[in-house]
Amino acid sequence: MVEEQDKLLPIANIGRIMKRILPRNAKISKEAKETVQECVSEFISFVTSEASDKCHKENRKTVNGDDICWALSTLGFDNFSDIMLRYLQKFREFERQKAEQNKASSSEERGEVTSNGFGLQPVASASLEFGILEKGGSSSAKQK
Amino acid sequence: MRHPGAYSGLLAGGLSGKTGPHSLPLARIKKIMKNSSDEVKMISGEAPIVFSKACELFIEELTKRAWMVTLKAKRRTIHKEDVAFAVINTDIFDFLVNLVTENSSKSEEPQPVMKA
Repeated sequence: MVEEQDKLLPIANIGRIMKRILPRNAKISKEAKETVQECVSEFISFVTSEASDKCHKENRKTVNGDDICWALSTLGFDNFSDIMLRYLQKFREFERQKAEQNKASSSEERGEVTSNGFGLQPVASASLEFGILEKGGSSSAKQK
Repeated sequence: MRHPGAYSGLLAGGLSGKTGPHSLPLARIKKIMKNSSDEVKMISGEAPIVFSKACELFIEELTKRAWMVTLKAKRRTIHKEDVAFAVINTDIFDFLVNLVTENSSKSEEPQPVMKA
């Protein structure tokens, strides 16, 4: 039974996400949550297979974020794909800035002067305004 | 995970900001990805993160559609059948049709009728 659970995402998390977009008076039966739980795992497998096929054809070993976005788009989840690409962009930018900041602070310690103040900017203020819903009209994303 | 701080910062101002770090466990997502096919060898660090967001969107979409079915039936509780109905009536959820119809046939096991 433990192995079965490994193939599913925790029902509590799924229930929370479901509740988030429903009105307050809405209720969700346990069986409905379980059904969604199974559907999500199937969704992950489905998209991953497609992404992995692509990697295999292109002789690449590693499935990356772009492959997932491509697979989402190919399988008809265009809306998701758009949102995901922006999310991925922001994430990569965030990681890059963080890396640069780390580099800058370590070079600071060595007494070197950085060419711009970029490295000194606190990471927390960097690109947290996602604005990925600016495009609007996406039925699969709801503005909070 | 390598950079827990990065995730919290990322999502603080984003779509699912209210729940803080990712809504779904990345390690579990990775396990499910690995199970999906023998061809899956290596998975980049960002792939489960992308999926975490994609799954949220997926759950939201499925839930919204199921809720429409529930409302039409003038109920306030989403039943499993509502989810099944939403799946069947949404093209991009075709890959789930077998899954949801399998489930409903399991719960309604036909009683063998013995006629003398």
